[in-house]
Amino acid sequence: MKEQPEPNEGSWPETPLLSEYAGEADMAELVTYFVGELNNRIQSIERAWQEQDKQRLRDHAHQIKGAAAGYGFPQITDSAAELERELNEEATIADLSERVEALIGLCRRATSSSDGA
Amino acid sequence: MQVCEHQIPRLLAVDDSELIHRLLKSRLRGERLEIHAAMTAEEGLDMARALLPEVILLDIDLPDQNGFDVLRELKTDSMTHDIPVIFVSGSTDADARVRGLDMGAHDFVAKPFDVAELKARIRSAVRICLLIKMLAQRAQIDGLTGLWNRAYFDQRLRQEFAEATRYDRDLSLILCDLDHFKALNDNHGHPFGDQVLEDFAEILSSGRGGDIPCRYGGEEFVVILPDTPADEAMIAADRYREAIRKMRWEEHPDVQSTASFGVADLNCLTERSTENLVDAADKALYRAKQQGRDRVCLADQSDQNDLKLSA
Repeated sequence: MKEQPEPNEGSWPETPLLSEYAGEADMAELVTYFVGELNNRIQSIERAWQEQDKQRLRDHAHQIKGAAAGYGFPQITDSAAELERELNEEATIADLSERVEALIGLCRRATSSSDGA
Repeated sequence: MQVCEHQIPRLLAVDDSELIHRLLKSRLRGERLEIHAAMTAEEGLDMARALLPEVILLDIDLPDQNGFDVLRELKTDSMTHDIPVIFVSGSTDADARVRGLDMGAHDFVAKPFDVAELKARIRSAVRICLLIKMLAQRAQIDGLTGLWNRAYFDQRLRQEFAEATRYDRDLSLILCDLDHFKALNDNHGHPFGDQVLEDFAEILSSGRGGDIPCRYGGEEFVVILPDTPADEAMIAADRYREAIRKMRWEEHPDVQSTASFGVADLNCLTERSTENLVDAADKALYRAKQQGRDRVCLADQSDQNDLKLSA
């Protein structure tokens, strides 16, 4: 797909983030599934952030942390781990905001690479 | 060996994330495993009890109930107690790992997992599970008395019989039965009956070294005496008889328990086999009962004739 990134994606560059398993035939279906899930989660995370629902934010971060690397996205796991850690440490809203944006940014890059594979 | 090695080992994964279940199903596809998924602690416990899988992969960070609580429940339920649990955690906290292992977990894997490592750890857990099952199946100790059980007796007698035959050695058997044991149970209660069984077992255990006392079933016991002719076995049996009739119990000082004994050795048999040896001792025991109990009888030719007639 040669489509341009969505117009409202704003400031950070949308270099597609590929799964480490991109190109492995037996992993393609799995990676596609995960990228689809990430798409849903981005919205969910954004909503939780808007509502300042730290518990839901923490649940998302925790689940993504545990799974992403398994699907070939270790950067997303690391980013989610940092967000989870800050949530547990009652960090300031500004710090959290940075973490949430970083995680969403990575997730968008993964989803923008069509199916990650 | 009765362990069902042909059966595909079953893995129960307890994790609140569908992302993990999909990943596991796909990444473990090549393994000889049947994978079952539970999303909550409650579902995990229910499935563990219903399935009795060979290995459980447990996310320790479950939301509805702490994964440690699930682990504790699995380990306190005798049904699930022996199932190896590999617990999975995204936390790198060593304290949590130590705690999980000390609570009886078999192993730990960090999440996100390395697939090759995860597979190896699962294989290791399945091996342990099969070994535990094998041990349980072949457990040869009688739970109440601590003596060898019937299964062990059958196997050991065949072994001793083979050796005695090969090296032309003596081999004796003492079969014994507590007298009026049912009445004792009825009058004084089963806990006391169990106490008497345990004490009688203790007496049989304190006999000559090398003799092999076993619980044959119920209130019946059997002692294998390798390298021992019948006349020596008679002396041993009479010592047991004396010991049990002298036994007194504080809580029931009026109770006297006695036992009857049947002794046989290979020379009592016209046709040598383990079955005939047990039968001969059994016939002699029957005679001891008939003649008034609290005595030792030796298998003789008339027993043999009985054997032949009844055969």
